[in-house]
Amino acid sequence: MNTEVFSTEFWRAFAPEMVLVVGLIAVFILPNLGNSKFRIPLTKVQVPWFFGGRRFKLTGSPALPGMLGTATLFVAVGMMVIEVIDGKMETTTVTSGDIVLLQIDAFSRFFEIIFLAAILLASMASLDRVPAHTFEGKKTLEEMYDNRRQADLYILMLTTALGMCMVALAQDLFVLFVGLELASLATYVLVAFHKESKAGAEAGVKYFIVGSVASGVGLYGLSLLYLEFGSLQLSTLSASWSDGSILATIALGLVLVGFGFKVSAAPFHFAAPDAYAGANSPVAGILATASKAMGMIGLIRVLLVVALPDTQTDGSAVWLYALATLSVVTMTWGNLAALGSTNPKRMLAYSSVAHAGYMMAALTAVGAWHWGHVEAPADYAEAIVAAILFHLFVLVAFKLGAFLVLGLLEMEGGASRLSALSGLARRDPLIGTAMFIFMLALAGVPPLAGFMSKFLIVAAIVSASIGDQWMGGSISFSDLHWIWWLALAMFLNSAISVFYYLRIGVIMFLEVPEEGRRKPLPYGASIRMAIWICLVATVVLGLSSDTLIEMCYRAAESLNLA
Amino acid sequence: MDIKNKEFMLIGGLLVVVAGLMAFFPSLNDSNSTVDWISIPLVGFPIVISVILLAFASQETRSRKDIIAVPIRLFTLCASLIPLAISTALFFDWLILVDWNLAYNDYALEKEYLWIESIGVSWHVGLDGLSFPMVWLTTFLVPVTIIATWNEKDGATYYPLLLMMGGALIGVFVALDLFLFYIFWELTLIPMFFLILKWGGKDRRYAAQKFFIYTFCASVIMLLGLITLYFLQPEGSGSQYGTVTGRTFDMTVLFSNATAFNMGDNVFLGKDMQNVLFAMLMLGFLVKLPAVPFHTWLPDAHVQAPTGGSMLLAGVMLKMGAYGMLRIPIAIFPDALLYYQDVIMAIGLISLVWGAVVCLGQTNLKKMVAYSSVSHMGVILLGIASMQPIGYAAALFMMFAHGIISPMLFAVCGAFKHHYHSMEIGSMRGMARWSPYLSVYMMFAWMASLGLPLLAGFVAELMVLLAYWPTYGWWILLPGFVLAITAAYYLWSMQRTIFEGGDEGQPPESLNGETPPDITLSENIGMLILAIFTVIFGVFPFIALGMMDQWAVALFEGVFNGGI
Repeated sequence: MNTEVFSTEFWRAFAPEMVLVVGLIAVFILPNLGNSKFRIPLTKVQVPWFFGGRRFKLTGSPALPGMLGTATLFVAVGMMVIEVIDGKMETTTVTSGDIVLLQIDAFSRFFEIIFLAAILLASMASLDRVPAHTFEGKKTLEEMYDNRRQADLYILMLTTALGMCMVALAQDLFVLFVGLELASLATYVLVAFHKESKAGAEAGVKYFIVGSVASGVGLYGLSLLYLEFGSLQLSTLSASWSDGSILATIALGLVLVGFGFKVSAAPFHFAAPDAYAGANSPVAGILATASKAMGMIGLIRVLLVVALPDTQTDGSAVWLYALATLSVVTMTWGNLAALGSTNPKRMLAYSSVAHAGYMMAALTAVGAWHWGHVEAPADYAEAIVAAILFHLFVLVAFKLGAFLVLGLLEMEGGASRLSALSGLARRDPLIGTAMFIFMLALAGVPPLAGFMSKFLIVAAIVSASIGDQWMGGSISFSDLHWIWWLALAMFLNSAISVFYYLRIGVIMFLEVPEEGRRKPLPYGASIRMAIWICLVATVVLGLSSDTLIEMCYRAAESLNLA
Repeated sequence: MDIKNKEFMLIGGLLVVVAGLMAFFPSLNDSNSTVDWISIPLVGFPIVISVILLAFASQETRSRKDIIAVPIRLFTLCASLIPLAISTALFFDWLILVDWNLAYNDYALEKEYLWIESIGVSWHVGLDGLSFPMVWLTTFLVPVTIIATWNEKDGATYYPLLLMMGGALIGVFVALDLFLFYIFWELTLIPMFFLILKWGGKDRRYAAQKFFIYTFCASVIMLLGLITLYFLQPEGSGSQYGTVTGRTFDMTVLFSNATAFNMGDNVFLGKDMQNVLFAMLMLGFLVKLPAVPFHTWLPDAHVQAPTGGSMLLAGVMLKMGAYGMLRIPIAIFPDALLYYQDVIMAIGLISLVWGAVVCLGQTNLKKMVAYSSVSHMGVILLGIASMQPIGYAAALFMMFAHGIISPMLFAVCGAFKHHYHSMEIGSMRGMARWSPYLSVYMMFAWMASLGLPLLAGFVAELMVLLAYWPTYGWWILLPGFVLAITAAYYLWSMQRTIFEGGDEGQPPESLNGETPPDITLSENIGMLILAIFTVIFGVFPFIALGMMDQWAVALFEGVFNGGI
């Protein structure tokens, strides 16, 4: 269905995003409603204009922004899930004149659900991590800070959500870039949120500067693409892409840098560990899951939609060897660095880097295809993209869950040393077991969701390496495409990573809690509920993943590769 | 018994009743609605019950945990007796008439439920002559282990973990779908990891992590081989095939396709690919077995593990690797097996010799027994390499016999540690004076392990040597000679600890001058049960061998279509 921008069908199709916008405006306005009056000039008439003055009791409560933000996210993601769940989704394209701006289809809705679910869980956790103190009476400085910054926090989260949705929906690379920047700027501020602490401020500034440079490089690449092709429409670019053009290849490389930073691929990942370690845990969780998914959309759009060779030609993609090298370097670097890490948040950051490497290896497999030689190349490409989507979805469950457990530890005094986790299983058996299950899922131990996602990715890569070559006869091992070795590299890296994931389990179950942490963990109903949701999702999506696999396949199909 | 214990007994009793009903509940999706004796009673019930108990027990405070350990221990024992009763009844046809006269690729009590339809994974379980002895062995060992370690500390979480281990192990043996097989294969790592971590010795951190990571590394390579094998299948349609991928993980389908393809001079998938895939799968099995040079995780894991953990580890978990080797390669890759026959024989022989020689140099009792396990597992490889039906039956019987004898060995070591606080062989002399029962069981176990006739180990070793001769001729002298060496280390350690020491004997330093005690009643009963069954299967091996021989002959007939 084609709609013009801002027509009535537009508003109906974009109802979830409009909910986000309305929520954002409400979080701006509602806490500021007060009894201020505006005097008409040259008269004595005082007109009540409710913006400002002594805040009303009801809307001035510091707990309001949190509730409002979380409720908005919940309604938006609920609406999207209802839309996607039965599988009969119609595609809506939004044009302005003859430029296609946005497209709502299974693929973009799937990513929006990932983003909103991650931000929703993080905002539920923030209700406890950055709590609103609503009691009457004298408050300490930290408590007053927390109250004053409630609105800021949820405005930033909703802005991030909006920006990410725009990235998911974009069909024009410029629109994608605008959305990317909107989300990124909001995340830079979120990382620096606790500006009074040294770690927070330093992490925020570092992430901002490096991120801006990366975005600048990406934008330059986009401008070179525009120079070459005259338009940034995805359809135009993919139709007129030719591998021979030098300018286009350079532009592609620059754009890869921009998106590679977002995905935290080596060697663009250096800001990531500092950012994750300096931000508070729910925000670090957003960076690790939603921000990575955002970068991955960019990579998928540019590498798979735009820069794949024509089905009639016989070559593999021009970016094949570059991406393969990057992915292996990323996986290995991430895992080796995590082995030496003593800060749990840094360790999870490096593990994020490694997971980005796995997904990039999957992308490489799509580019390996000799498109002319295979009967239905789209099938192999869809399998790989579906596996990546599955992995991004379940990462929200166990990676964000792990960060939320660290958030709980931060609430009682910091989670920057591994010894913070000592004896966690004895202090709080449920949270300790939940953390261990998240670690096992990250390592890829059956029957959890993490195993299913790694399995699907490797299965997709192996299937692509075999292709159509085996048709009931015999096949030699050397006939397999070299991307098969990427699958082996992925599994070996998985095995390396078990060491640091198990180390967390050993510390939790075996060591004695450190001084000052002998009491039970802080109560925090909201953050515990978020951890429970993540735990249930990790286990259930591992045991019964059919529904999600179907959803991922539909999303991959709507991408229309080849 | 105070009020709280009575509550627990009541709840425990109710759970037993519910569990019993679960065990008899008819299957849900099956069209001919025969009772599913495998999925819930043997596999699902132990795992679910143990998870519930663990969730229950972990919430309790320290002091309450000691109180609830008593009913939990009793309840876990009863819960573990139910699968034993069912598997014994299945053997003797008391519950349901089972035709154990199975052809190749034919299974008894087979049940299939679709699970992950998109990739063709189903919960497909069944028993045959290879898996049933192993299943019976597991259901037998879990209650015996619970009895033999009746006084373990922190029992509220210990006994449910043993039960979970048993359930996961049974799952490996009954799985007829490669994906399901892999899931249970990895699932067994988790309870064992916790058993070593919480109840282990001084270096338990290192041992538990080494065990997990080492076997996990090998398993993922095996998984990659399985995935590659999966995609090298012809596409098909049907309920077992994946809706998206068009292929299936079902072992029965894979075996029949491969066997049909291999008829005549064809080689399924081509020689080159077969060899590579065979090597990848075998890596996973060899590390689990464990075969030299991949065995280094075993001594650490055994020495640091608690007695119950060691009993299940050596008794059943090592057999998982052997089971994989007996089940998968010959049906799919007979050509690769023949190609690598000499390599497997060499690895088996090296394991046998290396294990035996290293044993001679050990001073720690448990480490000595661990290396003797490595040695005996080498014998299994010899049976497989012989490529004779009798060799396969011998390997299976060796798995079975070793599965009864080595838990007894480890129970003796455990009692040693428990009562003498030391595991050094040289630290004491003349134990027969103070611990006559322990001495008797130690002698018995040691004799069984070195292959004394009329005990189960002898039959297994004899059969392997008989299978060895047609294939390798006079090379038989080498394993025969080494098996004699194995007697040496057993006799030496036995003589020192039990009999030497003059009139006074010499208790170990670690006892600090107290009078050394004898074993407790529960340890006594546990070891006695194992001893009785060792004798039974030594004097009447045909009870188990009937099924095993029949399976091996059917296997070779089916795969090579006309026998050797």
